[in-house]
Amino acid sequence: MAALLAVLYREGKIRFTNLVWMFFDLFYPLLYFLLFGVMMDYTFGSPLAALGVDYTAFFLAGVLGMAGFGIATNTAWGFFFDRDNGIFYEMLTYPMSRAQFLLGKVVFNLLLAVAQAALTVGLGVLLLHVPVKLERLPLLLAAVVGGAAGWFFFFAIFALKIRRNDLFNTVVNVFYFVFLFASSMFYPLEPLPGWFRAAAQLNPLTWHVDVLRFATIGVGDPWRILLEAAAFVVFSLAAFAYAVRTLQRQE
Amino acid sequence: MSQDENALQVEELVKVYPAKAGRGAPVRAVDGMSFAVRRGEIFGLLGPNGAGKTTLLKILTTLLRPTSGRARVLGCDVVAQPLEVRRRISMVIQESAAEMFLTARDNLLTYARFHYLAAAEARRRAAVVMEKFHLTPEADRKVQDLSGGFRRRVQVAKVFMVDTPVVFLDEFSTGMDPILKRAVMGYLREEAASGRTIVLTTQVLSEAEELCDDILIMNQGKEVARGDLYALKLLSRGLYEITMTFDQLPARIEAELARLQPVRVHIEDNTVELALKAEEAEVLERVSALARLGHVLKVEVSGASLEDIFIELLRGPEAKS
Repeated sequence: MAALLAVLYREGKIRFTNLVWMFFDLFYPLLYFLLFGVMMDYTFGSPLAALGVDYTAFFLAGVLGMAGFGIATNTAWGFFFDRDNGIFYEMLTYPMSRAQFLLGKVVFNLLLAVAQAALTVGLGVLLLHVPVKLERLPLLLAAVVGGAAGWFFFFAIFALKIRRNDLFNTVVNVFYFVFLFASSMFYPLEPLPGWFRAAAQLNPLTWHVDVLRFATIGVGDPWRILLEAAAFVVFSLAAFAYAVRTLQRQE
Repeated sequence: MSQDENALQVEELVKVYPAKAGRGAPVRAVDGMSFAVRRGEIFGLLGPNGAGKTTLLKILTTLLRPTSGRARVLGCDVVAQPLEVRRRISMVIQESAAEMFLTARDNLLTYARFHYLAAAEARRRAAVVMEKFHLTPEADRKVQDLSGGFRRRVQVAKVFMVDTPVVFLDEFSTGMDPILKRAVMGYLREEAASGRTIVLTTQVLSEAEELCDDILIMNQGKEVARGDLYALKLLSRGLYEITMTFDQLPARIEAELARLQPVRVHIEDNTVELALKAEEAEVLERVSALARLGHVLKVEVSGASLEDIFIELLRGPEAKS
């Protein structure tokens, strides 16, 4: 427990004493939501208007998915930076196991994701009157936590495997572009071409965002959501197993 | 010596790095090393670049798993009980490793936290350590804004925050100014006197000569020589260090030096430093011959330094082959 708290203390110190990082972690998705969501709704209306759902309500799940994805990439970047400057290797000689080290990192990631989600959902309800289904808040919490963990493990693999800074940045940027746009984050998939829809349905970010959307505003077929949630859990477990293996092989 | 008296016990240790896919051959970075280090000793691991020193240190600090053999730190096996080993050690790695996004003070406090030091005690120690390392004026600056030398200070200062019984230092003095380096060497002696075991690698041989109670010279993953400075000097009997200062460097000096086939030679301004391996009388004859080349202001003939011994020992196998 003490080792876990030490990792949390370290991560907290780094994040909370760097305002730019904190801004990106906590407020960037919120501003995206308030600016992009509201403007899209004002300009184009809602793709789910027939269901009485405006664009900001539709986009809330997308923003939560983006936030978890973004926090995970920031943490993974931190991982990469730590290894690049050597402190990562020094930390591996500290009195803790490698599993405790990884667990501490992911717990911090989850706390940040939950804080960010609470801020975004709270202000979405208060300022934009998003009709969030309060009875589904436990499901929303599980989706936020599960999503942030899954993405953290996924990006940790690349942060641990890739040795070159330029390559790591390129990989993260490509992932950002592909995962975010080939998903249900910004738009519903139904009206899109078949090939695009098929690709997006294989994207774990689509599974994550669909679960978040079901948990926030209740849109989505429950059976399909269950299937997507199960697929995301499998994705997260596989990423976890591979990340631990990669960490244990760090020499 | 019983194992209980040993801080480190290494037996037939081997580390082989596999060949990279389709390129080169496997590398035996550590090749059957066996040695023990007593508690409270300052132990120096010396060797040229690529000798295997850092690999050996990485195995002893649980960063690397050995291919075969055993290594124990205060009785704890580095493979079977890595966490127990980590509880007993602190390490300064070769790279300049510090928490870049934290202040100098927070670096020390965070390190203390990982070693289970209470917050009040950590703050007290941080103040003392920062004073020792002249870091107090920089205490609240982020390490990323400090120079390379200050970053190294922060990194080395961390091991003085805790009381782990074994300290590993991989080229700790890199980037340190001579005054601070001298002070840190003093602190290390104090730590050893209080019972901590210090294991260090260095390329600065005068540093090892001054600091280490026991020295192991390694090359190509193997032990080349082992002992205290006196024992190592005995291994190199017949090796002399000569320093001559001329009023003007003689024109034929380089040709004459080449004829003497010195172990090592260094010319700076009007001063010639060389190491010769020969009988005492012959050395004096050669010194006289050199002295006749010009007007000599100063001559010193002494026993070999650790640097000469090091070069002589490492040249041995090459010369034989």
